Amino acid sequence: MTIEKARYWAEHMNELSKADRLWLNNPVIIQGLGIAPLVVAATNGVQALYLSVAVLLMLTPTRVAGAVLRRVFGERSHLLRVLYYAIPAALCYVGIYLLVRQMWGVSALQQLGIYLPLLVCEPLIIRRYRADSAESAGRALRRGLYTTLGYLLVLNGMGLLRELLALGTLYGSPVLSVKLFPLAAQPAGGFILLGVVCAAWRGRIRAFKRNIYQEVERAQ
Amino acid sequence: MSIVLTALGEFVLYAVLATFAQNAVFGRSLGVTRLVLLVDDAATDSLGFCVLLTLVQLISTPLCWGLNHLTMGMTYRAALRPLAYVVITALVVAAVWALARSLRAATRLGPTPERMAELLPLAAFNSCVLGTQLVVTVQAMTFAETMGFALGSGMGYYLAVMLVTEGQRRLRSRRIPASFRGLPITLVYIGILALAIYGFTGHTLLV
Repeated sequence: MTIEKARYWAEHMNELSKADRLWLNNPVIIQGLGIAPLVVAATNGVQALYLSVAVLLMLTPTRVAGAVLRRVFGERSHLLRVLYYAIPAALCYVGIYLLVRQMWGVSALQQLGIYLPLLVCEPLIIRRYRADSAESAGRALRRGLYTTLGYLLVLNGMGLLRELLALGTLYGSPVLSVKLFPLAAQPAGGFILLGVVCAAWRGRIRAFKRNIYQEVERAQ
Repeated sequence: MSIVLTALGEFVLYAVLATFAQNAVFGRSLGVTRLVLLVDDAATDSLGFCVLLTLVQLISTPLCWGLNHLTMGMTYRAALRPLAYVVITALVVAAVWALARSLRAATRLGPTPERMAELLPLAAFNSCVLGTQLVVTVQAMTFAETMGFALGSGMGYYLAVMLVTEGQRRLRSRRIPASFRGLPITLVYIGILALAIYGFTGHTLLV
């Protein structure tokens, strides 16, 4: 990294970190959102893919709809605001259910069980209602897409990692001849593995930030 | 008489099952995101949150159960289920809100309306409540089982909040590597507790 870039990062660290939903402010790793479907349903690459389609089609449209409804109906109490997000999410689910059923059949819905409809009340999808100010639809779209990307990155990474460790396969194709960590296929293993991934990710972020500040200090 | 006793037995059995062996958080990871946020948030009263969650669950889950029985045989009802359950939850929230306000007006007991307006949606619109409503539907429970499961699920959630809060207090040790402090060690801790719960329910490892 050039010294100019390091200086820029050091000066705007807070804003840049907050805006970066992929790496520095990932919704799962830093904010702890969307853990239940990730830990229970994303036990392999294929199931992570099904969930990805659902999150892709639910998160951003819900956030945009919520932003529009807040502008139309005004800033009311939390009791009503939560419905601005929960109802659009539940409506999105109708389309997602039909799409998943059409594309992958009933078995995909059975594999995901209650964790697909559960997305409707996941804080990842609806927690925006707690924000004090309404955002514009454009900002909601942009932020929604970034958050979706950040979530899908961890969701698919964890799905593949768990499949590899528990079964020694990737998307069903054999890769390893040994099953390194069979517990990874269970929710308990999912929690433990996610905790370890979280720690490694956060450790890398700390090192990245430390390096930037050290580079700027050395240059001075 | 025997019908009443059987129903009572089912109620107690499912309440105990949902509190311990099929704990919402450790067994099914229901409401785990909210739990992780809740134990970090000193401003939110955990007991008040769990009381409201249990109350909403106790009233809304039998209504969802009833709706599911009424719509038996309807095509694509699974697609509309979350929408219907969200609407039922919203109606129950309105009823609890009105009840709490009138109780406060009469006795000056309970949280202020502002506090209630903040806490109630948090407690009602989370994956523990929706998850419990979906579990009783998918598992085709009887009415007594549904009521027991709804109560036990709320109590189990409070148990999980207590365990994780206490765990977090002890896990603030300097011996824990800096990268593991906070969310990562909490997740590992929940994973280990979930593993202990497997001792009751049993889980098959793919070995």
